[in-house]
Amino acid sequence: MRIITHTCVQCGTVVSANELESNRVMKCPGLDCDNVLRFADLPSEERQFFLEHVEQYEL
Amino acid sequence: MKGVLLSGGTGSRLRPITHTGPKQLVPVANKPVLEYAIEDLKEAGVTEIGVILGHKGREEIQELLGDGSKYGVDITYIVQGNPLGLAHAAGCARDFVGDDDFVMYLGDNILKQGIAELVESFRRDDYGAGIALQEVNTPEQFGIADVDDDGTVTQLIEKPDEPPTNLALIGIYVFSNEVFDVIERLEPSWRGELEITDAIQTLLEDGHAIDSHVVQGWWKDTGKPEDILEANRLVLEDDHLERNGHVAADATVDGRVDLHETATIEDGAVVRGPVSIAANTVIEAGTYVGPYTSIGPDSTLEGVHIENSVVIGESTIQTSGKIVDSLLGRGASIGRADDELPEGRRLVVGENSQLKL
Repeated sequence: MRIITHTCVQCGTVVSANELESNRVMKCPGLDCDNVLRFADLPSEERQFFLEHVEQYEL
Repeated sequence: MKGVLLSGGTGSRLRPITHTGPKQLVPVANKPVLEYAIEDLKEAGVTEIGVILGHKGREEIQELLGDGSKYGVDITYIVQGNPLGLAHAAGCARDFVGDDDFVMYLGDNILKQGIAELVESFRRDDYGAGIALQEVNTPEQFGIADVDDDGTVTQLIEKPDEPPTNLALIGIYVFSNEVFDVIERLEPSWRGELEITDAIQTLLEDGHAIDSHVVQGWWKDTGKPEDILEANRLVLEDDHLERNGHVAADATVDGRVDLHETATIEDGAVVRGPVSIAANTVIEAGTYVGPYTSIGPDSTLEGVHIENSVVIGESTIQTSGKIVDSLLGRGASIGRADDELPEGRRLVVGENSQLKL
């Protein structure tokens, strides 16, 4: 299964695509980091792949 | 080599303790379980550690571990979100691990021996993975490895009816970088998770040698209250305990007692080790603290007889009753009902609590 992640450029915290997609826009979960992360930050090919296979990333 | 420390999961078997925090922060001998894993990784020479976070306790875990500098390690946080399996957690760490090999350590596991020998054994040859094993009495209830005379794994079997060995996989693994390509090829199992045993099995089928190391000392998965008590007993049995706090002249203290420098055992109290008493805790007159008990910080005990128990902290226990084999959550308060009418116990009990009265 392809696992897609995004790294916060401000604090280095890595966030999985399923977390980004479920929130769409979220404050970086890194403690004391005020960066805002968006599902749209992922490259378009990764977003498209994730959305086409979204059932794999759900419980 | 890097480390990947798994700190997700719901901790459902440890409710109600885990209603308010992650299971990996439950203390054993007054130290969060997760810190034992950090120490094991550092002792094995692994100082770059990715901590995998689930939905529960993200802030608390980050507040405890920080950037890792207080442990002499460098920590990166990796948010897995949905618990999609151990192999998914490992896959989330791919960018963090880069081209390195890595140790994967389940953060609610605790073991006596540490992981240095497992890591050394893996480094001796060109292995695809290394797995920690332990001999168990009920192999049909575990994932079991069959190994040759050199300790190289020949097959893995999940809960076999006729186990070829009694060597069970425990929650510590070493992986070569090849595992990431294998994880990409995996499909979720019947329970919707990417299984780490499937990843190891695929490495095996791809022709990679899989090393194994049999853990000789004790090992505990601290997923249930009785496991926390057992781990507490094992650690107190083995740990070097220092008596730095104040012991009053007419207090009785026997055996090995770890007493924080700000903790006090007052006149008329009896403490029989092995016991751990954390910061700012007071053991007052008429109290008996028996073997295999850990009392967390900022607590006061008066009159109670307590043994083989873990009090997480910030608790007040003022009763003449006896407490044994118990796990008390943070901020628990136990008072006396001796003089109250109608006679009886008065309880405010959280969801999923377990009491024997």
